[in-house]
Amino acid sequence: MLRRQIEALAKQVQCEAIAVAFHDYETDVAWSYQGHRWFHAASTIKAALLVALFDAVAQGRFDLESRVHVRNRFLSAFDGEPYRVAPERDANSDVQSAVGKSMKVRTLAYHMITTSSNLATNLLFDTIGAGAAQETLNRLKIEGVELRRGVEDEHAFAAGINNRVTALGLLDLFKEIHENRHIDATASRQMIDILSRQEFTSGIPAGIDEPVRKKARFAHKTGEISTVAHDAGLVFLPDREPYALVILTEWPADQKRRQDTVSEVSRMIYQYLTESEVEESNA
Amino acid sequence: MPETGLGRLKIVDGCDLPDAYRQVLRPGEMLFDERGRGRRLPRYFYEVDTLLTARETQLAPNFGIYEFIHTDLRESPVLRGFPKYLPCAIAILATYLSRLRDHVQTYIHIAANGGYRSPGHQLSRNASTHHWGTAVNIYRIGDDYLDTPEQIDNYAEVAREVLAGIWTRPYGHGAGFADDHLHIDLGYVTVFPRDADGETTDLPETSPA
Repeated sequence: MLRRQIEALAKQVQCEAIAVAFHDYETDVAWSYQGHRWFHAASTIKAALLVALFDAVAQGRFDLESRVHVRNRFLSAFDGEPYRVAPERDANSDVQSAVGKSMKVRTLAYHMITTSSNLATNLLFDTIGAGAAQETLNRLKIEGVELRRGVEDEHAFAAGINNRVTALGLLDLFKEIHENRHIDATASRQMIDILSRQEFTSGIPAGIDEPVRKKARFAHKTGEISTVAHDAGLVFLPDREPYALVILTEWPADQKRRQDTVSEVSRMIYQYLTESEVEESNA
Repeated sequence: MPETGLGRLKIVDGCDLPDAYRQVLRPGEMLFDERGRGRRLPRYFYEVDTLLTARETQLAPNFGIYEFIHTDLRESPVLRGFPKYLPCAIAILATYLSRLRDHVQTYIHIAANGGYRSPGHQLSRNASTHHWGTAVNIYRIGDDYLDTPEQIDNYAEVAREVLAGIWTRPYGHGAGFADDHLHIDLGYVTVFPRDADGETTDLPETSPA
C-alpha cells in the first residue's frame, strides 16, 4: 500500500526519484522503498558529521568546549584550491560574523544542524578530518553514507566528488544515534538534543497533524539543493516509542513544492504507523 | 591606580619551566626556516597567569595581551589554559601595531591563531615568526575585512610605509602567501631582559623543525 501511494505521489509531482526508509521502535516494523539508491546528500550529510564529531570527542581528540578559529577558507577535495562559503548562501549569520575569531565546537555543531550553517560545517569537517569522519562511519558499520568533502566545494562537485547517501544508510545513522550501540549514551542524548532544535520544519514535522505535532519532538536534518530535497531523523510522538524516518527526493532543477512532497510522504508514514496501532487496538 | 602595564608580569627563563611547557615552547632551541636557515627560539617569556591578567594587561596603547594569545584547539593542550607564556619580543610587536593603529585611526583586529603560537601548535611550519611573538595576522582593520587582493595589498603598503623594517606576506594562495589576512612580521627578534642570566653553552642545539 505504501509503495503504491509513494509511487503515485512521485508521478503526480514529477519527482525524478524518491526513496523512503523507516524503522518503528513501537512495533519493530521496518520498511524501505528504493533504500539502496544513492542520492546527493545535500545537508543531510551534516547529521553524519555530527556523529563523527561526537566520536572524535569520545576519542579525546578535543572536547565540546574546545575553540575553533572561524576562518572562511577551505581547500577543495578535488584540486586543493582554496574556496570560501558564500555568506549570502549561508542561512546563519552568527558564524559568518565570527570570522577571524573563534567559536566553541559545541556552538558550531549547534549552528551546523539547527540552521544548517555551511561555514560551521566546513570548520568542523576540517577539524575532524575527512578520513577520520569516514572512518567513524565505517567503524559504526554505517554503509550508505559517503562523507567525502566539505560543502560548497564547487571544484569537487564539478569533478563528481560528492557526499552521497542512501535512505537505508541514513536510517542506520539515526538508528545508531537513538540506540547508542556504539555511541556513548550521553553523546546520544546530546546529539538528539541538538537535532531537536532544528529550525527547518517544513519536511517530516509538517506531515504530522498539528495537535500531535505540538506534542511531538523531531530530531532531524533536512537537505536541499537545486535538484534534491530530503529530510531524515527521529520522530518522538507522545505515548509511543519513536520511529526513525528517511525521505530522499530528486528533482528537475528548481522544481516547486519539493518540501511539500517530503511532508506528504511523512504524513503517509505517520498515518501508516499510527493507524496500524488503531487497527491493532481495535482488533 | 593599579598597574596595568607589562611591569606587573613575571619574566621567566623558559629553560627553568616544567617539562610540559619546555616541550612545547622549546626555549633556546634551533628551528630552521623554509630555506633551511637556523633560527634560535626565544628563551625569555612573560608569564600570564590568568585570563583576568590577560584582559587587564596592556602591551602597548590599544593592545592588550589577550589579543595575542587567542589560539584554538590546534595549540598544544598545555597552553590552551593558563598560565600562558609569551616571548618578551611581543611588546615590540605591540608597539609597532600601536603605531599602525595611530596611522589608520581605527581598530586593528588580530585573528585567532594569528598572534603568538608555540612551536607545538599544529599550524607550525618551519620557523614561523609567530613562535617568536613577532608576527601577527590581521583579518580586519576598522570595517575592512582583509580578504581581497586589493585590501591586503593596500594595507600592506600602508604598514610598510609606517613601520620601518617590517615584512608583509604577499597576497596569494598556498605556502608563503596569504589570502584572508595581512601578515606582518618583524623577523626573528629575541629579547633578553636587562637582568636576565647570560647565555650559556648548554642550550639544546637542534631539534627537528
